[in-house]
Amino acid sequence: MSLLELTRLAMSRLATSRVRSALTMLGIIIGVASVVALVAVGQGASTGITDRITSLGTNLLTINAGATVSGGVRQAAGSATTLTLEDAAAVGTIDGVAAVSPELSTSATVVAADKNTTTTILGTTEAYPTVRAYSLWQGSFLTDTSVEQSLRVAVLGSTTADDLGLGASAIGTDVSIGGIPFQVVGILQTKGSSGFQSGDDQVLIPVSTLKRYFTGSSSSGVRSIGVSVATAGQMPAAKAAITSLLEERHDIASGGTDDFTVADQTQLLSTATSVFGLLTVLLAGVASISLVVGGIGIMNIMLVSVRERTREIGIRKAIGAKHRDILLQFLVEALVLSILGGLIGIVVGLVASAVIGAIAGWGFTFNPLTLVAATLFSLVVGVLFGVWPARQAARLNPIAALRFE
Amino acid sequence: MSRAIIDLADATRTYDLGRVQVHALAGASLRVDEGEFVAIIGPSGSGKSTLMNILGCLDRPTSGRYVLDGTPVEELDDDGLAVVRSRMIGFVFQSYNLLPRTSALENVATPLLYQGVAKRERLARATAALERMGLGDRLDHEPNELSGGQQQRVAIARALVTEPRLILADEPTGNLDSHTGEEVLDLFHELNDAGATIVLITHDADVAVRASRQIHVLDGRIAA
Repeated sequence: MSLLELTRLAMSRLATSRVRSALTMLGIIIGVASVVALVAVGQGASTGITDRITSLGTNLLTINAGATVSGGVRQAAGSATTLTLEDAAAVGTIDGVAAVSPELSTSATVVAADKNTTTTILGTTEAYPTVRAYSLWQGSFLTDTSVEQSLRVAVLGSTTADDLGLGASAIGTDVSIGGIPFQVVGILQTKGSSGFQSGDDQVLIPVSTLKRYFTGSSSSGVRSIGVSVATAGQMPAAKAAITSLLEERHDIASGGTDDFTVADQTQLLSTATSVFGLLTVLLAGVASISLVVGGIGIMNIMLVSVRERTREIGIRKAIGAKHRDILLQFLVEALVLSILGGLIGIVVGLVASAVIGAIAGWGFTFNPLTLVAATLFSLVVGVLFGVWPARQAARLNPIAALRFE
Repeated sequence: MSRAIIDLADATRTYDLGRVQVHALAGASLRVDEGEFVAIIGPSGSGKSTLMNILGCLDRPTSGRYVLDGTPVEELDDDGLAVVRSRMIGFVFQSYNLLPRTSALENVATPLLYQGVAKRERLARATAALERMGLGDRLDHEPNELSGGQQQRVAIARALVTEPRLILADEPTGNLDSHTGEEVLDLFHELNDAGATIVLITHDADVAVRASRQIHVLDGRIAA
């Protein structure tokens, strides 16, 4: 008997008990659908997080001023002003470093016409948008000149601009920051939450201006330095070079306690990726259990079917069916149930992951490998749980089977 | 003298039911020549069904020798027996034994399926066999939509669709009224005239007399 004839026989047989076949398949459908959907959700979430981390800046290293030890108590990171503008300039000369933005911040009230808001005032340089992956919505960014001459110019984050009721027409007008008039030269494009802080609620001014008017010009210290490395491959080398350069500049013996830390975006990224990878495997594992339960459902119904159809098996044997004919007939029935269930499950799973992706906002990730794996898995389930009942059927004694009532 | 199609020599069949051993056949010898119409007659419990199972290669004798059309059956494995049933033998049962929820056409075509005959030829031959049984207008009917006589005619069509050399009929008229029973027996005579060897098992003397030879079975032995 050819596979086509066996399949035809199985289909017509399953069609005679539709409800039972459908309910049996439901177990496989749910199993496969949940594997497909959960893997897609895991991958979607992983991609979403990766995108957000990348949005913080590409190939970003952040040098933070280290903690000082005061009276034996370690102070909060950034409490020391051990990093300087000169450090930033020196880091900029390292091989593979594309851009460097020193950052120093304070908090102040910003007033525009009749509205005001209290926000972060960040002193930086023209390299900031490159390093932190911002783009400009309106106007222009800080320039070399405005930093050198400590001009009173400000670039507003999009949220801050909204809070102050300022739009495109506000370019060139004045706002008051901590009582000092500044000219608005640009407004940043909305970036969205990075998941850690809002990057849209801040006002950027030249770092020199911040020192002169807010934090005092005596020190050249900065809170942190953002470093953009040219390529991802150069990250480890750049990180090592920065560390040794700053240790040298700060007179720290190797092995001593650094007064700065270099935070690495790739660490965060790889941690997130591995966490989500693990989560995906875990979810798929849990979903696989339901697939196994579905397989047991198939075995159960096949065993019942063999018993119910004992007489039919006897008749078939009497009119010439071989061991193999009966074995394959029942095995193919189990396979049709599992594969049909698997295919429907894939469709249901894809629809579910598309819906979840749309709601969560990470879109629809289609992974052909999952589909191949799900199909193969349901095939294996069909064989695994179908072969035993089929053997039971094929081994029946024809006379006993014919007498069976 | 014509060729023997059935040559059974001193066959026994013992069923081991745990504590008791039942000797359903206790040394039966039987020879049937090609083209004969033989009736095996005996009361219930005489072992005639066991005899039929062994003759039909559904069962094997516990001891003794059975040569079917020149082939010693004890040399065949289970699949070998299945091939013999498929190629040589057509069965007709008292309870028809049609496949449930399956059309008359599919029922009759099924033995050809196990011979590996292609679908188109299968259906053509099954249709012809059913038409020969006068059921040309009942091809799509399922067994539960047919009368007893019609079901038995479907079963006979299924037995003869493979053009078997030997037709074994176990109480084929047992569930039928006498008129329909006569019709079925007429069909067997037609098949016999066309060359098939017929072995008919019955407990009914009126049925047995229609055969050309009667073999009596009693207590697991051939009586005469």
